Amino acid sequence: MGARTVRRLLSKIGALLLTLFLSSVVIFSAVLLTPGDPVVALAGGVRPTPEMIDAIREQYQLDQPVWVQYLSWVGSVLTGDLGTSFVYKTEVIDLIAPRFGITFLLVIYTLVLIVVFGVGSGILAAVRRGRVEQAVLVGTSLGVAMPTFVVAIVLIWIFGRVLGWFPVYGPGEGLLDNLYHLTLPAVSLAVLYIAYISRITRGAVVAQLSSEHVETARVRGIPPSRIFRRHVFLNASPQLLSVAGTTIASLFAVAAIAEHAFGLGGIGVLLTEAAARKDLPVVQTLSLMLVALFVVLNAMVDVVIAIIDPDSARPRRDA
Amino acid sequence: MSVGQIAAGRVPAISRRAAKRDPLLVAALVTLCAIALVVIAGPLISAFDPNQLYAGPISGGPSLTHPLGTDDLGRDILARVIAGGPASVIGPLVVVALSTTLGSTVALLSAWFGGWVDGILTRVIEVIFAIPGLVLAVLAVSMFGKGLVAPVIALSIAYLPVVSRLVRAGARAELGKPYMAALRIQGVSSTAILFRHLIPALLPTILAQGALGFGYAMLDLAAISFLGLGAPPPSSDWGVMIASGQPSLLNGAPEQSLFPALLVVLTVLSVNIVGARVTVWAEAKSS
Amino acid sequence: MTRTVLDIDKLAVTGPDGQALVADLSLTVSAGEVVGLVGESGSGKTLTVRAVAGLLSDGLVASGTIRVDGENLAELPEQHARAVRARRLGMVFQTPRAHLNPLRTIGDFMIEALVAVGGEKPAAAESRAAELLAEVGIADPERRLRQRPSELSGGLLQRVMIAATLAMDPPLLLADEITTALDVTTQEEVMAVLADLRRSRGLAMLFITHDLALAGAVCDRIAVMQGGRIVETLQAETMRADAQHPYTQRLLSATLPPDLMQGEPATEPVLVVDGLRKTYSVRSASGGHREEFVAVDEVGFTLAPGGSLGIVGESGSGKSTTARIICGLERADSGIILVKGEDWTRVPRSTTGWRRRARIAQMVFQDPYQSLDRRQTARQCLREAISVHRPRESRPALDARVDELLEAVLLTPDLADRRPRSLSGGQRQRVAIARALAAEPEILVLDEAVSALDVTTQVEILTLLDRIRRETGVALLMISHDLSAVRRVCDHVVVMRGGRIEESGPIAEVLDRPRADYTRLLLASVPHEGWVPQRRIPTRTAALPTIATSNLPILDPQGER
Repeated sequence: MGARTVRRLLSKIGALLLTLFLSSVVIFSAVLLTPGDPVVALAGGVRPTPEMIDAIREQYQLDQPVWVQYLSWVGSVLTGDLGTSFVYKTEVIDLIAPRFGITFLLVIYTLVLIVVFGVGSGILAAVRRGRVEQAVLVGTSLGVAMPTFVVAIVLIWIFGRVLGWFPVYGPGEGLLDNLYHLTLPAVSLAVLYIAYISRITRGAVVAQLSSEHVETARVRGIPPSRIFRRHVFLNASPQLLSVAGTTIASLFAVAAIAEHAFGLGGIGVLLTEAAARKDLPVVQTLSLMLVALFVVLNAMVDVVIAIIDPDSARPRRDA
Repeated sequence: MSVGQIAAGRVPAISRRAAKRDPLLVAALVTLCAIALVVIAGPLISAFDPNQLYAGPISGGPSLTHPLGTDDLGRDILARVIAGGPASVIGPLVVVALSTTLGSTVALLSAWFGGWVDGILTRVIEVIFAIPGLVLAVLAVSMFGKGLVAPVIALSIAYLPVVSRLVRAGARAELGKPYMAALRIQGVSSTAILFRHLIPALLPTILAQGALGFGYAMLDLAAISFLGLGAPPPSSDWGVMIASGQPSLLNGAPEQSLFPALLVVLTVLSVNIVGARVTVWAEAKSS
Repeated sequence: MTRTVLDIDKLAVTGPDGQALVADLSLTVSAGEVVGLVGESGSGKTLTVRAVAGLLSDGLVASGTIRVDGENLAELPEQHARAVRARRLGMVFQTPRAHLNPLRTIGDFMIEALVAVGGEKPAAAESRAAELLAEVGIADPERRLRQRPSELSGGLLQRVMIAATLAMDPPLLLADEITTALDVTTQEEVMAVLADLRRSRGLAMLFITHDLALAGAVCDRIAVMQGGRIVETLQAETMRADAQHPYTQRLLSATLPPDLMQGEPATEPVLVVDGLRKTYSVRSASGGHREEFVAVDEVGFTLAPGGSLGIVGESGSGKSTTARIICGLERADSGIILVKGEDWTRVPRSTTGWRRRARIAQMVFQDPYQSLDRRQTARQCLREAISVHRPRESRPALDARVDELLEAVLLTPDLADRRPRSLSGGQRQRVAIARALAAEPEILVLDEAVSALDVTTQVEILTLLDRIRRETGVALLMISHDLSAVRRVCDHVVVMRGGRIEESGPIAEVLDRPRADYTRLLLASVPHEGWVPQRRIPTRTAALPTIATSNLPILDPQGER
């Protein structure tokens, strides 16, 4: 990477950090926007006792100006002090830590499915025109209308009642058993994304296949497999990578649906339960973590794309 | 040329051709009309009160009296599906209407004024984009309590970036074309350029995005209901019905979950087919 | 009798609906011979060469025989045919930038075929690649091998493409409009390279172009195509005398030098430009910091009422930026624009300001398809342009004026209700001219107004513009890269290069007795009879900064940027 590319990248990552800062302000201000007394909002669904009121005022520095409140909130999140949930009556970190592993595993499992089947079928559809392409197109049309919860209940019905090959409830014990238990949840999460990624892959690959520089390679007699590797897939990959960050970040949020359906106690279930019980501190912390994940992933994606295509790191380029 | 003229001149021609060439599109449109009809006129034809307990057997299969069967509390599933219709359809419609109008407005302001206006609006859009839609909806629920109003507003905001990026890119491309410069040089007023040239040029794109957005909104809102963050019982939409029928799945009575799920999928599928066709049409118009 | 390297016999290309796009086409190219395939857009010349190269898109079917070096491509299995094409022919395209993978270096591109097809070792391939680049006159080949296409100028990329085709030492080169996207001086450089290769390697060429003059200057034989058929094949040297077919004669007359215009008597100029300067801030090619790119530098000229001034230059000369500043689409950094004594230096801020200017200066753009709203019919477009200046006019009066304008640009009334999509290129440009005339302007700025059109259409439009000028007394400011187009219409000319004026004066004086070296170079680069392209040091080797003037937002209410 040349100096120019590095500088462009830094400015892009700077913009991402600004986004992170601004979205943390948005998430923080949820307390201020909640109707009623912020103390009550932070106490969540419970009626605060006088001791709780003091504890909340102390923890969130509610007597201080708003910007001090914000700084102390961000400061404590950054230092790993995620505060106390007054609904669950425990430290937020103790709520998140034990649930994180299963969600992480579920997201990774789902990602593997998405990459293998989504990217795979997209390439297949682009390369094999005709019947294969038609089949993939019909499949993806159905797939993008198949939300996680619908796939989940169909899978639960088929495997829980009719076939019984895979467990339909709980996370299991130990890594292998975990994976076994996570198969159906991962499939239910993956279907919609497989369809989505497959379409993007097909579009990107088809665009490259019909591009003029591929035409040049063809007329020069470069073998088709080599053209595919060095010109088609390489040039299509930035487009795929650019949706990767968003996809992974949103998987962590959408995992809630699969966790809910298959009785997995993960982060997603914690998020929705906390929301249902109006436990604002927990929801805020988890939201901030997801946004931070989004920013970090996108920064990584930008670096990878810049390595593939140094010209891409220009600050802003319209489609 | 007004928008009305475009619509009047083009749509019949398209539908005539479509009927011959594109049976899928026709099927999608018929499905959507049927669903709309059931949602609007359904309460008149259904024989049961959707909330009447033990109107039939518990988790009964389809029969003549209960065409879609009965749920775990003996309520008529058909009546409940019909009753859940408005809540399931109106939410996504509101999301699409709000996010499309707002997003397009932001995009037009951005593209038209450029400079610092564009800079600030683009930054705002980036921030919204960084927060996944479901997270924003969940945040809204924890602020305002359960129910679909907060998620609908949250999703309307969460969908802004997709609409606004698309329309902004389209508007910038359009404004960069020589015909825009030609209009300026002729002395055509800004209002005329905006309403007679720019917006009509972008309308197909906006419509296509609206159709796709409806599908996404329907799925997201149903997911929120499925997670138990939607309207509290007894009022219920399709998402809630799917969730509440989950225990019966293992008892061999899938109807309670499957029928509303089928409706969700059919609606989204049909809307997506229509949206895809509109997109193709939009691309053909702008090339 | 020399060896035949390409033998096309009864080639036909049919479209998906069975329509004949190329029919009954037979053509041979002998070793070392250059055969031109000339025709306007849609004549089938590109399809023919694509059929030879095996690049017909899906849905198109070719029949007949194509023999390359004696091997019938149609009879060979696909893999074998690919090998024959890879080794026995090279192809160069119109847009080198699009035809090179933007993510790979020039070195990757050059070496790839040597390794994958020729089976050479990478190290040997690299030194061979450098040799090939040197052979086409690229200085410092080792450095170029490490660069990406985005860092090189179009002319240099076209040389890279040519060098790459030489890798397998093919006897035949297919050249598809390879200089159309290039400036005249760059075109001359590329043609000189090809002429050298022809001498040194005995390379045969099938040379596809729409430019009969260019074909006449570089080819041995010329096949003229129209509507998918060859209508006539001529010896290049005697083509002017031999041409029989009316279509060929029309093409030939389109490129003949025109009669000169008479100079106008000196009067108070309608447009005075003085000391115009415009710079853009661009990221430099070498480092990340921004640097100034001077697009227009101290430019000044005058235009007499009813006169016609041509501004000639190659890409990057600043001629289009100058036109856009005059029309208010760009703001000058400094300098003066006086129109009828009024200061036009500032960009108009209000619609009223634009309207007042609109009655004086109008502009016709290069691509009429882009400069017309594709949703408007010709009538709607003209009606809008008229009603801007006559808001209270009744519908019948507007329509009457529309008919008048259509008549002025020689369009029949039945075309009025068509949208741009269903008009031909020439008809579209006529609508655009009619629209510009709607305001009854005193100055018509023509920004490359004919360069996107076929040659015969170009002549029609230029003749029309000339007639309009004589009849209405509108002054023409014609921006063009094409000296012969300017010569046909203008009485004065300004030659620009790199943002500066090289030379200016009456057309006959400048073009017949040029004082500036650059003008001489420009004139010498235009293909003509007895033309010998010269290899010169490229005027520009790096890509121009992307300031793409047409993509800047034009509707800036502040008038500032």
